Amino acid sequence: MSVRINPSLLPDLLASIQQSRQNENAATQELSSGRTVNNPSDNPAATAAVVLNHGQSGQDAQFLQNISTLQGRFQTADSTLSNVVQVLTQALSLGTEGANSTVSDSDRQAIATEVQGLLTQTVGLANTTYQGACLFGGTNVNAQPFTLDSTTGAVTYNGNSKTTSVEISQGNSITANVPGDRLFQNGSGSVLGALQDLYTALTTATNMPAAVTEVQSALSQLGVQRVTYGNALNQINQNESFLNQDKLNLSEQENTLEGADLSAVATNFAQAQLAVQATLSATSRVLSQKTLLDYLA
Amino acid sequence: MGGLSASLSIATQSMLAEQGAIETSTNNIANVNTPGYSRQVPNLEEAGTIQIGTLTFGTGVQLGSVTSLRDAVLDLRINQETQQQGQLNAFLNAGQQIQALFNETSGTGLQTPLSAFFNSLSELASNPSDLTTRQNVITSAQDLATAINQTSNNLASLQHNTDLAVQQSVSQVNSLTAQIAQVNQQVVAATKTGENAGPFRDQRQQLINQLSNYIDVSEIDAGDGGLTLTTTAGSALVVGNQSFALSTQANPTTSLQDVYANGADITSQISGGALAGQIQIRDQEIPSLQNSLDTLAYNLSTAVNNQNRAGYDLKGNPGGNLFTPLTQGAGAAASMSVATTDPTLIAASGTAGAGNSGDNSNANALLALQNQNIVNGQTPLSYYSDLVFKIGNDVSSAKTTEQAGSQTLLQLQNLQGGVSGVDINEEAANLIRFQTAYQASAQVATVINTLLQTTINMVN
Repeated sequence: MSVRINPSLLPDLLASIQQSRQNENAATQELSSGRTVNNPSDNPAATAAVVLNHGQSGQDAQFLQNISTLQGRFQTADSTLSNVVQVLTQALSLGTEGANSTVSDSDRQAIATEVQGLLTQTVGLANTTYQGACLFGGTNVNAQPFTLDSTTGAVTYNGNSKTTSVEISQGNSITANVPGDRLFQNGSGSVLGALQDLYTALTTATNMPAAVTEVQSALSQLGVQRVTYGNALNQINQNESFLNQDKLNLSEQENTLEGADLSAVATNFAQAQLAVQATLSATSRVLSQKTLLDYLA
Repeated sequence: MGGLSASLSIATQSMLAEQGAIETSTNNIANVNTPGYSRQVPNLEEAGTIQIGTLTFGTGVQLGSVTSLRDAVLDLRINQETQQQGQLNAFLNAGQQIQALFNETSGTGLQTPLSAFFNSLSELASNPSDLTTRQNVITSAQDLATAINQTSNNLASLQHNTDLAVQQSVSQVNSLTAQIAQVNQQVVAATKTGENAGPFRDQRQQLINQLSNYIDVSEIDAGDGGLTLTTTAGSALVVGNQSFALSTQANPTTSLQDVYANGADITSQISGGALAGQIQIRDQEIPSLQNSLDTLAYNLSTAVNNQNRAGYDLKGNPGGNLFTPLTQGAGAAASMSVATTDPTLIAASGTAGAGNSGDNSNANALLALQNQNIVNGQTPLSYYSDLVFKIGNDVSSAKTTEQAGSQTLLQLQNLQGGVSGVDINEEAANLIRFQTAYQASAQVATVINTLLQTTINMVN
């Protein structure tokens, strides 16, 4: 005689209804969220990795935002310096003109006044602000870096010689400013000093050729310093594309960790639904099955 | 001596026996859906014989006894499995609520505020003199503190709820052990008088199974049909007709309810049933997570404060604490808060004195904390991700065990059903058998009646 089976099929049926319902539920959740990991317990390791992944991509997004702030700042600084170059070029031709011995005294005075105007303009440019912060004051960004004594024509630098460095991607920093004294009062060619000397030379009609040479060397020195901004812009642009790529990689990684293969999930869902229906229909048949009693007349 | 009247008595006796058998089948069918009921079988026996001369005659049939079919070993296995399932279900029930607090894949948890805080410092480093950017650091710090507070408070309230559940479980245990003691006595009494103690045993087994949902139970056969129930660690629950109630008492340090049996604290000894799961959540899982949160809150705020004090604020004055200083240990996470609302007090600069509002060297140092091992030898985010892994893993492994256990339980229940379950078809077949025998005996009685009539008429 065989082993007597449990005459009540109900527990088995209920368990399998429960099971197929659970599968259906899980598939629905995956389908609606697009993720295979909907609770930490679904895949603890993936969830922990997602924490770091989200942290990293949030950091990248912040770096990108920093980069766009820096881009604005660098562009403003660069175009300001390009204006200064124009001013110096103008001063150079005025100086050459003034150095000519055929120029009359009154004309030279007029040229001198023009040069003085250029000096004032340059000081104005050197005091350029970006979003309320002075670009060329070193780390002293809330005070005007340069003040011009209108009577003596002397320029004082109120800033400092400090540079700041800003992280633009993990472990990768960039110098975010060139201090004003290095740009405009550089020992190897001072922009403001040259303009001042040119003005003095023109008014006193002395040292003319030397003053012109001074403007020339100031111009070339400014060109050297200006490269810093150009390079910085290049560097952050490169970084920007690196960060965008990194963000893309991270989101792909995230997708691998927790993303659901939608076509597979859709198939699973259809199968789970079918299983639920099949179980229910089997249950209803088993429960309404006739017993021997039904055949007793 | 043999004769017509003897035959008549055999027939009526047979009708009585078959009637008893029919009654048993009827009772089985009636109880087909009764939980805990085990099917009964009528034990029909040959009645004694009589000797007439050299001939031996049978004297018919009698219904010797009715017995309930049970398998005590299966009962025991089912109870053990039930204890484990009870524990896992209670653990999972609370565990799933806990892990919902750290559901990072759907964006719930501490990663967002933690990253936002460091990102605000990164922004500060790129624009240290901007007041809006500074304000953003304060706001992000406040958000982070609030998020850690809330997570800690949510854990505390889950712990409180679990504590209430422990008390409810204890009162369930007490009500069940009281009932078991009563039924236990009935089993002993029925066994003594030789009645069928089966129905009482059914009832007792059903109650012990319910008890197994709440606590670990160990059964000792007392020999007289009675059972002695203890916890696995040996605290008496039921002895004979007496039950021993568990009690709860607030722990002076944690103010959570400890479980006492006969004056002894058995909280840490309970190894099965919902109580074990609830105690595990309340006394281990939640405190361990709280401890991690406290460590995170304490170390993070201390490191940020130290670095902020090393720098200089917007006015060039030495920096102060950004977060209210915390005491190490329990409660740090719940009391984390931001010490200032003044955005100028954030020490972004590394140089003392005015005129350095564009200096970001200390902001860079604050930002660098993000990648330094400042929390128990790990970075703040990786420490937190380990915490998320732990709770996820604990729930996941409990779930796996629970699923395997529920399969085992189902199998055991099917085996038990195979022994004790009522099969309608079988009962119907038996009914037909008993009915046929009953009808035949009745027919025999009619025949004997006719024979007796013939004999009486013969006298006339």
